[in-house]
Amino acid sequence: MTPRMTRRMTRHTKDVAEDVPRPTRRGPRRGAPYAFLAPAIVLFLLFFALPIGYAIQLSLRTVEVQGLGLGSGARREVWAGLANYTDALADPELLDGALRVAVYGLIVVPVMLGLALVFALLLDAERVRGRRAGRLLIFLPYAIPGVIAALLWGFLYLPSVSPLHRTLDALGLPEPDLLGGNALYLALANIAVWGGTGFNMIVIHTSLRAIPAELYEAARLDGCSQLQIALRVKIPLVTPSLVLTFFFSIIATLQVFSEPTTLRPLTNSVPTTWSPLMKVYQDAFGTGDIHSAAATAVIIALVTLALSFGFLRAAGARARQGEAR
Amino acid sequence: MHQRTTVAALTAALTTAALAGCGSSDGGGSDGPVDLTYWAWAPGMEQVVELWNEANPDIQVTVKEQAAGDDLVTRTITAAQAGEAPDLVQAEYQALPTLVSNDVLADISGELDGAEEQFAPGLWQQVTLGTDAVYALPQDSGPMMFYYREDLFAEYGLEVPTTWEEFADTARAVRDADPDTYLTTFSANDAGLFAGLAQQAGARWWTADGETWRVAIDDEATRRVAEFWGGLVAEDAVLNEPMYTPAWNQAINTGEQLAWVSAVWAPGTLSTAAPDTAGSWAMAPLPQWEEGGNATGSWGGSTTAVTNDGQHREAAVEFATWLNTDPEALAALVTEGGIYPAATAAQTGDALAGPPAFFENQPDFYARAAEIAQGTAPASWGPNVNVAYGAFNDAFAAAAESRGDFAEALATVHRATVDDMESHGFQVAE
Amino acid sequence: MTTARVTPQAPQAPPAPRAPRRVALLPTAALLLGALYCLVPVVWVVMAATKAGDELFSTFTLAPGTGLLTNIADLNAYRDGVYWRWMANSALYAGVGAALSCAVSALGGYALAVYRFAGREAIFGVLLTGVLMPPVILAVPQYLLLAEVDLTDHYLSVLLPVLLSPYGIYLARIYAAAAVPSDVVEAARMDGAGEWRIFRAVALPMMLPGLVTIFLFQFVAIWNNFLLPFIMLSDDEKFPMTLGLYTLLNQGSNSPALYTLVITGSLLAIVPLVALFLLIQRFWSLDLLSGAVKS
Repeated sequence: MTPRMTRRMTRHTKDVAEDVPRPTRRGPRRGAPYAFLAPAIVLFLLFFALPIGYAIQLSLRTVEVQGLGLGSGARREVWAGLANYTDALADPELLDGALRVAVYGLIVVPVMLGLALVFALLLDAERVRGRRAGRLLIFLPYAIPGVIAALLWGFLYLPSVSPLHRTLDALGLPEPDLLGGNALYLALANIAVWGGTGFNMIVIHTSLRAIPAELYEAARLDGCSQLQIALRVKIPLVTPSLVLTFFFSIIATLQVFSEPTTLRPLTNSVPTTWSPLMKVYQDAFGTGDIHSAAATAVIIALVTLALSFGFLRAAGARARQGEAR
Repeated sequence: MHQRTTVAALTAALTTAALAGCGSSDGGGSDGPVDLTYWAWAPGMEQVVELWNEANPDIQVTVKEQAAGDDLVTRTITAAQAGEAPDLVQAEYQALPTLVSNDVLADISGELDGAEEQFAPGLWQQVTLGTDAVYALPQDSGPMMFYYREDLFAEYGLEVPTTWEEFADTARAVRDADPDTYLTTFSANDAGLFAGLAQQAGARWWTADGETWRVAIDDEATRRVAEFWGGLVAEDAVLNEPMYTPAWNQAINTGEQLAWVSAVWAPGTLSTAAPDTAGSWAMAPLPQWEEGGNATGSWGGSTTAVTNDGQHREAAVEFATWLNTDPEALAALVTEGGIYPAATAAQTGDALAGPPAFFENQPDFYARAAEIAQGTAPASWGPNVNVAYGAFNDAFAAAAESRGDFAEALATVHRATVDDMESHGFQVAE
Repeated sequence: MTTARVTPQAPQAPPAPRAPRRVALLPTAALLLGALYCLVPVVWVVMAATKAGDELFSTFTLAPGTGLLTNIADLNAYRDGVYWRWMANSALYAGVGAALSCAVSALGGYALAVYRFAGREAIFGVLLTGVLMPPVILAVPQYLLLAEVDLTDHYLSVLLPVLLSPYGIYLARIYAAAAVPSDVVEAARMDGAGEWRIFRAVALPMMLPGLVTIFLFQFVAIWNNFLLPFIMLSDDEKFPMTLGLYTLLNQGSNSPALYTLVITGSLLAIVPLVALFLLIQRFWSLDLLSGAVKS
């Protein structure tokens, strides 16, 4: 997919390997890492590489119809070249969707990761009560199945049934329309933050638990407060996890699908092509045009690749220091 | 962790996979009973099929319950591509051309024996697509009707509208009587409803003409319907929010909405959505465009289709015929599945002698329904209904939200549909 | 409230390092607030599950109803208890899938973190590209490919594609890098232990807290997975719960959606996940890591 990048990364690894003198002690057997990685590689080839290749092939083809298109043989798959790609890129809906997702992502990613980091630090801090319960409760939304999500948020967002609106009404405050205009972004972001904070919190928290307690002792003896320990010791040490959660949050944002799909039946404001991935779903499963869907999906994947690896490179130097050995 | 155990399990799993890959192709063989699989979503279908299985040890049918919806069509097409489609599928009328176009459905005209006269011509034409072939048997139908709160209509002093003009006046009268109340809402989240209203007005969205499809979504009849509702939304005489939301349920339950333009299956929906209103609703014919008319459209309804993948077409057709024409089967479908049968004779059968549970106040419910059903306008579907429906959802939702131009939204739907057909090489006339 | 009682004593000499007696008020309140925010929609599910069919849309949203037991009985009776079958299927898919996926991730992450070998970053980068292609578009090719080997509508069709989790590998690599010190591995090598033995006896226990996290994530992800089973399965005896509940909501226009069954089913579906979480929480508390560093 990105031969140049892969080559560069390979070269980089080789450089390092050449720089570092081989240990004179008994080294590991050369085949060991490959053997350890074998299951992952086999599964990747079978269930990712092959289907991705298939999807790319689909994206280069299209269906051509003869006559009325009824009866057998009336529909043929033919080579389309890049036509599906040019069509997708020329579709204003795709760009509109990308812009909507950008706004959405600018809200979700910082808020969700900020909260996740804060909660993870709170869970790891001393003198904080209710940590076990807090951990469970914050993680709980991740366990709510998506099938009832539309019903759930309908009950919490729609003015005539929402407890929020009842409360505001009772206080004599104006009742916001959460499902239209710009408030829609907040309504969507809220679902994502609600569902995703616990997950990221656990990732960061697990990293915090891996930090040897001695490091805190030392900092505490130096007279650092809890807050200072958190800022000066803990956050730098969990940077790899933060990079990880950031990286995956960006990808999840670019592939945002379930939140807008959840709200779609409740409002006129979410079209079937609200996000690029919704357009992919609509093409693939709504209108049954898997070829256009595959082309759009490849475009999304390439944009994701560019953005996420760009980010990884920027954060890469630090992350590699973290695990240098 | 028990690494060895997991590795062993992995090996075991992969071995099973390999074995399953070798052994699971269903041979069946020529002797022994024929096994048919049937994808359906109607509840209670298993019990109905059980009747068949008991009486026909040679042809055993297995129901595999599926979720209804547009994505099931794609799912079926994908399965057919892989050669894994079931012998029989439940398919909505408007999905038939798409399924036929993707070579999923078999032409069963050769195996059928005198089923045609059991159904109204308007329904039969939808399963033949206007050709000599037959691609499915009608199972249930959804003639459209007007549902209203009888008690509240009396309270507000409203008459049941018989024309759309009166309907508009009634909508305005409701707004005048109570500013928190609407007659009904225009919902853009189900294109089938709008399609049914357009049929009533005389629209024929797709018609085959030789080797050419004539697409007429933006025709005079449909534009009339679109502009009518657009006008009501613009002047706030009807609400513009989608139906089937918790808010809609609440509104029809508390009487903030007094009516619902729906189809014969509405009592089931009302009983869950508005449980407090049992016995307060009444059903009337749809308002008419021409005074004294008796036209209606259809919304919903499905067929039983036989796929090309099946090895036992004759047996499948035999079963499908029984399911949709045999009095015992139809009676069971009505009682177990709550469907409104497509077969004409069954619409006045014993199973439909009494009213639905929610409509005890209207004992002649089904007799009137059968009368209304006779005026069902013909529907004609094309090979990309999904595209048109998707475009409808987006364009009309936006227009409803902004209380904007419905005629323009309709033109958008038309364009999207034609563009899609042309891009796939169809000959299209407008 | 205990927290309120403690505050007046605050202006004292800084506490001894090892005596965390006072409750930190502000952080505790923040955590509480976060928990509350996450809890409210869950409370809705609980409340809605207690409502009888005619209460769901007609009583105040967050008020309890009277129908919980009836709802559970109805769910139990629905098509001879097929719900429990879906629950068992979900447990099977999620349990077996997460365990195997965790094993694959542990092996891969360990290799990537501990060894230095040709193509390390390249393999890692390529494995990560797996997350770039949205599952929506992978599902159809996966279906068509599995159909080639006659595995569609088979338990394995839902299990095999979820075994590789790029996320899991990434997490395992980070946890292994943080938790398995290279001098420990070297020391074991000097003692003459083989690579596999080092992994199993030395590295694996150190990685355990990280691995249970990966297990948890994969379990919940597979438990909630909808699209893959939707594409792969047609036999409702093999459906996982998500797909089963979805069929209850979409029974066609003739029959109303069975909301109360779906909501009650969703609530019951949370119970095993909470139990799993509580179980796994114990592993996080084990202080295996610091002990390993000292040795």
